[in-house]
Formats: sequence, structure tokens, C-alpha cells
Amino acid sequence: MFDPFFLWLEATAFSTWMRESTSVFAFPIILALHTIGLAILVGLTAAFDLRLLGVAARIPLGEFRRYIPLMWLGLWVNVVTGLALLAAYPTKALTNPVFYLKLGLVGAALWLLRVLLDGVRDGATVTLPPTRSKRLAIASLVFWVGAITAGRLLAYTHSRLLASW
Amino acid sequence: MGSVQYWLVNTLTNTEPVATFMRTAWGWPIIESIHFMGLTLLFGSIAAWDLRLLGLTKRVPIDAFHRLVPFAVLGFVINAASGSLFLLTEPDQYFYNPAFHFKLLFMMLAGLNVLVFYTTVFRRMDAFAVGDDVPVQAKFAGAASLCFWIAVIICGRLLTFYRPFPCEGDEARALFVRCLL
Repeated sequence: MFDPFFLWLEATAFSTWMRESTSVFAFPIILALHTIGLAILVGLTAAFDLRLLGVAARIPLGEFRRYIPLMWLGLWVNVVTGLALLAAYPTKALTNPVFYLKLGLVGAALWLLRVLLDGVRDGATVTLPPTRSKRLAIASLVFWVGAITAGRLLAYTHSRLLASW
Repeated sequence: MGSVQYWLVNTLTNTEPVATFMRTAWGWPIIESIHFMGLTLLFGSIAAWDLRLLGLTKRVPIDAFHRLVPFAVLGFVINAASGSLFLLTEPDQYFYNPAFHFKLLFMMLAGLNVLVFYTTVFRRMDAFAVGDDVPVQAKFAGAASLCFWIAVIICGRLLTFYRPFPCEGDEARALFVRCLL
């Protein structure tokens, strides 16, 4: 049904360059940056989740709000590189249910991160009850584990690579 | 060097029972996913520590942040273990791969940085004063750590594109298209 759209997108200069350029700065570096964005955003989120679960308990929870600009950086790097990777192989991702599972898990995990960061807004004062923030921190880790696994599985689970094939 | 690589590849290829497990439908993808979780844990924990050294969260006593370092070590152990499973299955894809050589180089530099940090400047940071800047040598160590681990991740992700036999396998996407067309 969406094949005309996929065919048009795959024929654009950018999509073709992403797939066929022999430059390391095309597909390879954009893919690598997608992993760097993941490491920054999810890595710092995981450190925050661990703190909520009781690790390094002498770090005031509000200090984790200092990572917000870096978390935004990681997120934006991955939105931009993710869109570029999607433009390279739109049929591959958009015809694969695992891709929508990944997006859903990322969305849920980001929403949880927002709730948890809002909960530690006033410096050391925590507005979320500890048991609730612990449960949400576990949920956050589970969502990110799911999102990473789903992302990795995209390389193995696609049924079509290009609409033009 | 050539004979060392040849010996490694011959010794490690198809190590059982690892290779049988890795060649099942779920083996390689699951271990890859675990490898990505390990990198996230390693990078996130060490970045929080490095950023404290660099002064981002300097209102907090430095030893409070040091409690995150064991989780970076855990992430490293997870990745050394999961990474070994790849090497024990397809060693030729790594030992003849320039991206893997650079990845090892940056891992060694990161390790050397840790070694120098703990044997020199860390011993002099016994005051652990709240709100204090750490010595400039410690800031350099923090910045170097961030750079080296980012380089390790980039080289790791580039492995696919510098494999010695790019037309085999299913994920060398840019090369994949060229090899098939």
C-alpha cells in the first residue's frame, strides 16, 4: 500500500547516497553516531535509575538533572541519525513490526524519564514516593533493555529490504 | 604479525560449544543485544564519574560518585564476555579487521588511562573535599576516558564495514547492496 512512497523515498538523492556511497561518513558513521547517542542518553538514564534503586545513595537525586542537556543531545543525535537510517532503508524498517515495537518502547522509556526527572526537581527533595520511583526506575531499565534488543533485532527480522526489489 | 593472526584464527575458529550456540537463530542477535546493554552500562557509569572529574556535578563529594565505577567495571565484564563469544565463533572477521585493531588500541589506551589515574593522581585526591575541583591531571584523565570510550564504540560499530569478507553475512548494509547488485 505504501510502496509508491517507499519507492519515491528510496530514489531520493539522500537515500541513495546513504546506501551506495563508499564513504565511511555515509551509512557507517551515521550508524556509529546512533550508538553514541544511545550510550549518552540511555547510559546516563541507567545511572539515574541505578541511583533511584539505591546505588551511590549519597549523590543527591537532583544532581541528575544536570545531565538533562546531555540527555537531550543524545536524544537529538539519535532522532537525526535514526531518520537518516530510516531514509536509507524505509521499506526495511516500516514493514517490520519490530520497528514499531522499538519506537513504542523508546517513547514509553522517555516518558518515564521525564516523570522521574520531574520527581527530583527541587534539588534533594524527592516528590515521588521512594517505592514508586524504584518501581518506575525498574520499568525504565526494562523498557530500555527492550528498546535496545528490538533495535538490534531490526538487522535480523526484516522481511523486505527495498521496495524496488 | 601475520602468523600471530593465523594462529589465533586457527585456534579460536568454531570453539565448541560456543559456536553451535552462536549459530542458532537467536544466538548472535541475543549476544549482540547484551553487548549493547553492556556498553550502555559501561559508558553511562563511567561518563557520570568522568563528568564529576570535569566539574559538572562538583557540589557532590567525589567519593559519592566513585560508587558508580564498579558498575562501569560490570559493564566492561559483560562486554568482555559477550565479545569473546563473537571471537570464539568467527575470529577471522575480527583479527583481520582494521576496525577491530583500532578498537583494541582504544581499549588499551582506556585501560592505560585507568591504570595511570589510579596509581598517580587518585592517591593524592584523599581529601575528597565537597565542591572542590580535582587536580588538572584528574580532569585530563576524565576527558581522555570519555574520548577513548567513544572511540571504542565507533570502532565497534564500524566493524561490519571493514570485515575481510564483506559479501558474507547479512548486516554489512552498504556493502550488502554493492555485493548483490
